[in-house]
Amino acid sequence: MTVLTDILHLLFTANLWQATLAAAVLLLLPALGGVVSERSGVVNIAMEGMMLTGAFFGVVADLAWHNVWAATGVAILAGGMMASIHAVVSIQFRADQIVSGIAINIFAGGLTVFLVNRIYGLQDVGHLGQSDLLPNLNIPGLEQIPFFGKVLFQQNVVVYAALVLLFLTHIVLFRTRLGLRIRAVGEHPQAADTAGINVFMLRYGAVITSGLFSGLAGAFLAIGISNTFVPGMTDGRGYIALAAMIFGKWTPFGAFIACLIFGLGEAIYANNSIIHVSPYLLSMLPYLLTLIVLAGLVGRSTPPAADGLPYVPGSE
Amino acid sequence: MAHKRLKFLGVAAAVLMLAMACGGSNGGGGNTKQYKIGLVTDIGGLNDKSFNHLAFVGLEKAKADFGIKDDVIESHNGSEYVPNLTNFASKSYDLVIGVGFLMQEAVGTVSTQFPNIHFAIIDGAGTDAKGNDLKHTNVQSLYFKEQDAGAMVGVMAGWLEKNGKSKKPQHVIGAVGGVSIPPVNHYIAGYKWAAKMEDPGIQVQVGYSNDFTDPAKCKTVAKAQIDQKSDIEFQVAGGCGLGVLQQAGQSGVYSIGVDADQKDADPSVIASALKKVDVATYTAIQNVVKGQFSSGALTFSIANDGAGYALDNLTLPAELKAELDKVQKQIHDGTLTPPADIPA
Repeated sequence: MTVLTDILHLLFTANLWQATLAAAVLLLLPALGGVVSERSGVVNIAMEGMMLTGAFFGVVADLAWHNVWAATGVAILAGGMMASIHAVVSIQFRADQIVSGIAINIFAGGLTVFLVNRIYGLQDVGHLGQSDLLPNLNIPGLEQIPFFGKVLFQQNVVVYAALVLLFLTHIVLFRTRLGLRIRAVGEHPQAADTAGINVFMLRYGAVITSGLFSGLAGAFLAIGISNTFVPGMTDGRGYIALAAMIFGKWTPFGAFIACLIFGLGEAIYANNSIIHVSPYLLSMLPYLLTLIVLAGLVGRSTPPAADGLPYVPGSE
Repeated sequence: MAHKRLKFLGVAAAVLMLAMACGGSNGGGGNTKQYKIGLVTDIGGLNDKSFNHLAFVGLEKAKADFGIKDDVIESHNGSEYVPNLTNFASKSYDLVIGVGFLMQEAVGTVSTQFPNIHFAIIDGAGTDAKGNDLKHTNVQSLYFKEQDAGAMVGVMAGWLEKNGKSKKPQHVIGAVGGVSIPPVNHYIAGYKWAAKMEDPGIQVQVGYSNDFTDPAKCKTVAKAQIDQKSDIEFQVAGGCGLGVLQQAGQSGVYSIGVDADQKDADPSVIASALKKVDVATYTAIQNVVKGQFSSGALTFSIANDGAGYALDNLTLPAELKAELDKVQKQIHDGTLTPPADIPA
């Protein structure tokens, strides 16, 4: 039972929750992207590939320019470019959206490895110095709050940005006319079209937004948390974000809660040097937690009605 | 890669012409056999900055010295090991090298199917599905005493803690392993053993990231250890472990690199534990080229200069340097033997 007391003890440390939030944000960004895309009716499982592409081009730009903000912009755009491929293929050409998503994920993996070898040879991609990374930012005053100061206000700039995006996404989707239209397009595109809403435009916008969000996550991973690009470094986070999106019933805050649970699992796992249980067992924790919560608490979760269905104008 | 092929074609054409010229003059075949060596990486890939990369360095050196034809396939997941090894074996390569413990079973399978092809495997043997060594006569195992290298950096960490020369000396150090497998644990065993020898009261935290590629995962494990007062962090996790070095830099503590000299990865790196995979790969190729292939195990250690350490971004006190030299000599002479299993 010492394992349980070890974990319980950990749950009362600010360090653990600080790590939880940082890990959660890495999943939250692509998950929010997924929410926006699927709310508009385009299934998006390509966040993994968009994130990886963003990570790669962010590192390339940062190494070349030594300007982390410009590099972050490049990463975001690179994610957006990947997403626009998905948009063209699935909106314009009405291809199967799952297949397109898988293709993008595989393509991104191959493309980045190929470019690493092309640009840097077989040597190091190169490491960025501390001043070229997305900085941690302690909010003056607020960081002094016991416990919560460390958890909420001693974080990387991307963490704050992601939390702002979380609220923004929620407000836009559920409190604005634009959000209403996006959701209408995702539920019943024929009706939306009849009402004079441009289905294609909204879907393009939504899918590309998912790429921008994922690209930012890639930047956070490669030039915020890490300081280099390693092939395959996203390591399935895009897929976990996908799970978080479904788990959160296609809502921003629902997805955030799911990301926090995954993040908590990761943070507990990181302490495996002081929790004396097999690291293999501990690494199952996030997934185990998901299964339990999904089966017990969430219940049935229903996607938007037109999710995954290409829109053919004039069809019934 | 395309230009490499071209280069090879050029070399091949030159060799062919030379052979033909020889044939014309004395009617016999010139013994200009060009050896074909195939290297299969594990999932870390050639860009891992440690293990697979070093194997490639050894291969390149052998190419320069012996004019071999070299070919490399990177494996992106475990299911590719068997097809990649088979690819070389079926084309009658003179030596097929598998890089890494993770390929043991694949080497076992393929070496059974191609009993006339020579195989070498780094950090392992050709095994069956249960991990039993099949002891094939066409397989050479290249093992390392990682504990030798781990012990050297362990001496350094322990000495710095004992003498209060680390950044925040509280007699706590850490090690972050990739996955709990023998080559990783050998390093950690030597490290912990030597640190305790220098500083008996030291606490050595041992954690695993369950990953060899993702720096973010190692970073969180390192951060957790540093939060628990560790101020020297040893990474034993390949590309993932670069996150350990980086976290140490951010937290203002020391770190130790692994396999290759990782001085450039972060200013916090004070030393690297070296495992000379390049030397092993080169040796295996050399043996084949000289017709001296032998099955069974070749072990690389401090005793034959196949393991060691590099001093990086820290100028060591003379006393510590003397201690390192003393311990290295004792390990070399066999009067000290670092353990292969992590001591309690």
